Amino acid sequence: MTMAQANVPVDRFQVRSRFADADVNPGDVLMFAEGLPGYESVRQFVLLDVPDQAPLKVLHAVNTSEPCFLVVDPKRVLPTYRYELTDSDRQRLGAKDDGALLWLAMVIVDDAGAVAVNLRAPIVINPERMTGRQVMPNACVYPLRYVLGQ
Amino acid sequence: MLVFTRRRHETIMIGDGIEVRVLRVGREGVRIGIVAPPDVPVHRQEIYNQIRDANRSAADTAHPMAAIAEQLRRHS
Repeated sequence: MTMAQANVPVDRFQVRSRFADADVNPGDVLMFAEGLPGYESVRQFVLLDVPDQAPLKVLHAVNTSEPCFLVVDPKRVLPTYRYELTDSDRQRLGAKDDGALLWLAMVIVDDAGAVAVNLRAPIVINPERMTGRQVMPNACVYPLRYVLGQ
Repeated sequence: MLVFTRRRHETIMIGDGIEVRVLRVGREGVRIGIVAPPDVPVHRQEIYNQIRDANRSAADTAHPMAAIAEQLRRHS
């Protein structure tokens, strides 16, 4: 058992984010073994559906109030979106087959209110293993901030 | 900082699980191969920094969720 796994909640618990509150089952906790760039020490997240806010979801840290992200399926933003995982990504996610994977892109709103989506470094979740990671391509055609309405 | 001189195909070991190998030395740069355990992230620093900054901006988003969801529903 790794350190990160040692603190998985055993009972249902409350997540309170600035977007939504939720009652979460410990079995719904996603393990991010490396954390996320900028939040390396946060290893557990939950993905929350919020009523009437589709296609947005909330990716929220467990055991800490930060960070909290709005996320969306990148194909919803760009239907032609296509991303080739590396074998290393698959191995780290414990994924045998890409078909089961869930893709999420983070939403970024600038000071002027323009909504952008990070298509460059998506989050990939393997629901079969409840693992997740942010994949970072060395070469990628998609922008870090893809502004809606382009 | 530890400083080593390495020739092509020579390696540096870090701990017992990380291997850094010089694959090619050119005029413009050095090609390096890295072997690391699955729980050790390896990234080009400038890409990592860009993504870290984008993540921090994303985590700072305080715009009303309904307005963003509406923009996404309209966008297609």
